Amino acid sequence: MKSFYIRSKLVEDTAVIYPKGHLDAHNVERFEKEMLKLLGSEVVNIVINCKELNYISSAGMGIIMGYLDEIREKGGDIKLCCVDQRVYEIFDLVGFTEIYDFLDDEEAAIGKFKDVS
Amino acid sequence: MKKPQLENLKMFPEKPELSISIPSKTELLKMVVELASHIATLNHFSPSESQKIALAVDEAITNVIKHSYRNVIDEDIKLEFYTAPDGLKTRIVFTGVPPVLGKLGVNLDKMIKEGKKGGLGVELMRRIMDSVEYKTVGNINSCEMVKWKKKKSAV
Repeated sequence: MKSFYIRSKLVEDTAVIYPKGHLDAHNVERFEKEMLKLLGSEVVNIVINCKELNYISSAGMGIIMGYLDEIREKGGDIKLCCVDQRVYEIFDLVGFTEIYDFLDDEEAAIGKFKDVS
Repeated sequence: MKKPQLENLKMFPEKPELSISIPSKTELLKMVVELASHIATLNHFSPSESQKIALAVDEAITNVIKHSYRNVIDEDIKLEFYTAPDGLKTRIVFTGVPPVLGKLGVNLDKMIKEGKKGGLGVELMRRIMDSVEYKTVGNINSCEMVKWKKKKSAV
C-alpha cells in the first residue's frame, strides 16, 4: 500500500502541489519528479499545500530547499500553506519558517504571488 | 544541545527493552517511525516529542542506508530501544562505511544558494535529541541517541 501521494493543479500562473501522507527517503523521488515537471513547464510560482501531509523527513525538505534558488532566480518562489502543527514544528526546527512564507490557507498563499506581480 | 552526564547514561539498563533487526530497505522507514513513535509515547513523551524522536531515528537509519550501505539492500541494521524513567535511548548498530559527521549547525542560506538537497538529516537529529554519538569499533558502527524528558515546572 502506498503511503505517499502527490498531485498538482494550476491556478492561473501558480502551481499548487498537494503532497499527501508520509514523505520520507523512500518516496521522495515522486515528490522531486512533480517538482521537476513543474519547473520543466516554466511554472515558477509554487504553493505546496500540506493539508494532508502528516510526516516529512529531511529528504522531502531537501527537495523544497534544493530548487528554491533556481525558482527565485527565475522570479518565482515556493510558499507553503495549511501545514499541520507537528509538521510545522519540524520545518521550524531547521529554520524553514524564516526562509519560506507559511500561510494558513491556499487562497492566501496564491494571493501572495499576486501581491508581488 | 545538552551534554549527557555520565551518571545519567548509567540510568539506562544494559539490555534493551526492545531490539529488532531490519534489512537496509527504505520501504521499512515508515514502520521504524511508527515503532519509535509508539515506544516514545509508551515512555510518556508527548505526541509531538514522540514524532520528533521517531524522525531522528528515521534520519539516522536513512543515513545508514544511503551512506554506510550506499543504498545496497538487505544489509543488516539493528535497532535497540532502552527506556528509563527520565529518558529514552536508541542505538543503531550497522557495518559498512563508517559515518563522517559534519560540523554542528547548518547555513540554510548557503545550502539554498548551492542548490543542496542533502545535509539536513544529521542537523535534525542533533536538534531533536539531547545527544547524538557515533562510534566505530572494528567494523561495527553505532549511533546512540538520547532524549531526556522535560522536567515539569512547579506550579
